[in-house]
Amino acid sequence: MLWAALVSFIIVTVTFVLLSFAPNPSIQEAATQAALQGGDPAAAAERERELRGLNEPLHIRYMDFLQSVYTLDWGWSQYRSQPVTEAVYEGLYYTAQYSVPWTILTLVLGPLVGLYSAANMYSWKDHAATGFAFFGYAIPNFFFAIILLLVFAVWLEWIPVVYNANAAVFSLENVRQLILPVFVLVTGSIGGIMRVSRNESAEFQNSEFMKTARAKGVSPIRAYLYHVLRPTMVPLSTTIVGQLLALFLGSSLLVEIVFGIPGLGRITYEALVAQDTNLVLGTTLFFTFIAVVGNLLEDIVFTVLDPRISYDDR
Amino acid sequence: MTPDTDPLLEVANLRTTFDTDGGELVAVDGIDFSIDAGETVCIVGESGSGKTVATESITRLVKSPPATVTGSVRFDGEDLLEASEERLREIRGYNIAHIFQNPQEAMNHCYSVGWQITEALTIHTDASQEEARAKAIDLLDRVGIANASSRFDDYPHEFSGGQKQRVMIAMALVGDPDLLIADEPTTALDVTVQGQILKLLDDLQEEFDMGILFVTHDLGVVAQIADRIVVMYAGKVMERGDVYDVFDRPAHPYTQQLLECLPGTSDSIGGIPGSLPSPTDPPDGCRFAPRCEHAVADCEAGGQPREVEVRPGQAVSCVYYQSGYDASVVEADTGDAETSRGVGDD
Repeated sequence: MLWAALVSFIIVTVTFVLLSFAPNPSIQEAATQAALQGGDPAAAAERERELRGLNEPLHIRYMDFLQSVYTLDWGWSQYRSQPVTEAVYEGLYYTAQYSVPWTILTLVLGPLVGLYSAANMYSWKDHAATGFAFFGYAIPNFFFAIILLLVFAVWLEWIPVVYNANAAVFSLENVRQLILPVFVLVTGSIGGIMRVSRNESAEFQNSEFMKTARAKGVSPIRAYLYHVLRPTMVPLSTTIVGQLLALFLGSSLLVEIVFGIPGLGRITYEALVAQDTNLVLGTTLFFTFIAVVGNLLEDIVFTVLDPRISYDDR
Repeated sequence: MTPDTDPLLEVANLRTTFDTDGGELVAVDGIDFSIDAGETVCIVGESGSGKTVATESITRLVKSPPATVTGSVRFDGEDLLEASEERLREIRGYNIAHIFQNPQEAMNHCYSVGWQITEALTIHTDASQEEARAKAIDLLDRVGIANASSRFDDYPHEFSGGQKQRVMIAMALVGDPDLLIADEPTTALDVTVQGQILKLLDDLQEEFDMGILFVTHDLGVVAQIADRIVVMYAGKVMERGDVYDVFDRPAHPYTQQLLECLPGTSDSIGGIPGSLPSPTDPPDGCRFAPRCEHAVADCEAGGQPREVEVRPGQAVSCVYYQSGYDASVVEADTGDAETSRGVGDD
């Protein structure tokens, strides 16, 4: 817990330092404006700086910054003409709609496919599952998304090409337009998870304690659930968190752009293009928060899954 | 069950083979043995002689495929090799329990020892959580785990090697088995702990009146625990008999050489020259013939010699005991000629 707080604190600080060195677009804008209107650009820049409190010493600005970060006062998004927190919230609304089903599907399917592969190791079933998983792992998400859109939306016309942001969350229309993004992301994330669960469970399948379990009269299903899946979850949880976060922070941006979903990824992208510093900072902070919380969850899950891991004596 | 007449377990012509890329691997090649209730039978032989596979074939614990088990294994009047997988699961852990060689690896590190001990009860009986817990704690206490009730919820990594094997014994005994199959349970432990575990097994056997099939390559252990022994070599039985008879008057040259490997029994530390024959392409005749100093032409022809009873209860599979041979050639060999062989033959 302490570590997570410390990490997020450090990231916030680093972001602040980087930001304090970067030129502020609104000051440049004010200077340009003044020059265009025949005023003194330097004086205008100074006024703007005062207005924004940038003339204060660094440590005072730092304290202000910290305070506003933790009180969720993340500033005003010029590009979207709304508070940054509101913009993030709106983006999250759309991102969550595909992220939640995608995460659940990955968590369920990944280990299952891996276990199935391990149970049928080196048979055609294993090869088919492995091949599928690696295909999804290897192909770039945005490219796969474009191909699927082309086939199912443009040629077959089974699903809409343009995303309708006004569709109700639990409507058939929403399901149809989210099938492809969810599918693309699941194929992307399942590969790594499947591979780890296949290899780890194969190891536990041939373990001595599996023999002990069979000698006790444990049925194959019980043996898999209790004696293979459980120990597999430990190394797997690392992969799952890493894999999901990497996709969430990276690929979801591309997928949102391809499918035209106005979620967090696209908001970040557009804010970057529009040089909306506050909004970029806001989404970055949000992603940071997700990453830190994800890793914290992983650590907690570790102690629950593997009794040999304990943070008590830290 | 009528233990006075029928043995608890009767294994006849047990043969376990594995399909490998290098051809059919015969791990156990037609062996017979039996165990009475309350009796300890030791299977002795060097590593790779098929002892473990033989014991794991009894409840078909060997993975099949790739393994194929044939012959007959009669347990309490029922042929286990004919039994369905479901029936075998009922027997495993309840009527026949196993202890394995390496207690460090034999427990699942994710579960408390209490959970693992009671697992067999959960599967085989309707015992409630509290009953199972009480029984497990009682067993932990009896196998010599101090503060059993507080250690019930501890995890395997919180126990030492010897304690783990005690826990494994408790785990095996929780279903009140009639037969305990112990596969080298003391090999991974140091000698002092080894003695304690053997003593514990001996005490528990009396208490539970169970048959024990004990597998080991350590003749010192055999001397401590066995009633009868079966000497295995390369998937075949070389000799069997009462432990005192076999130790005092070993009939088979292999047994004699094995006994000589015990420290303190001969002047030299030799070992038996040569190594086990290939399990995919075993030699004709007696399996031990290529390494036997007494081998004659007949030893390397045909199959393994028929077992001949040399005295009540002791039988040997060696050409020299067949009619027409002079058994004294090998029998007399416990004397002086023996002592220098280890070095001389190298």
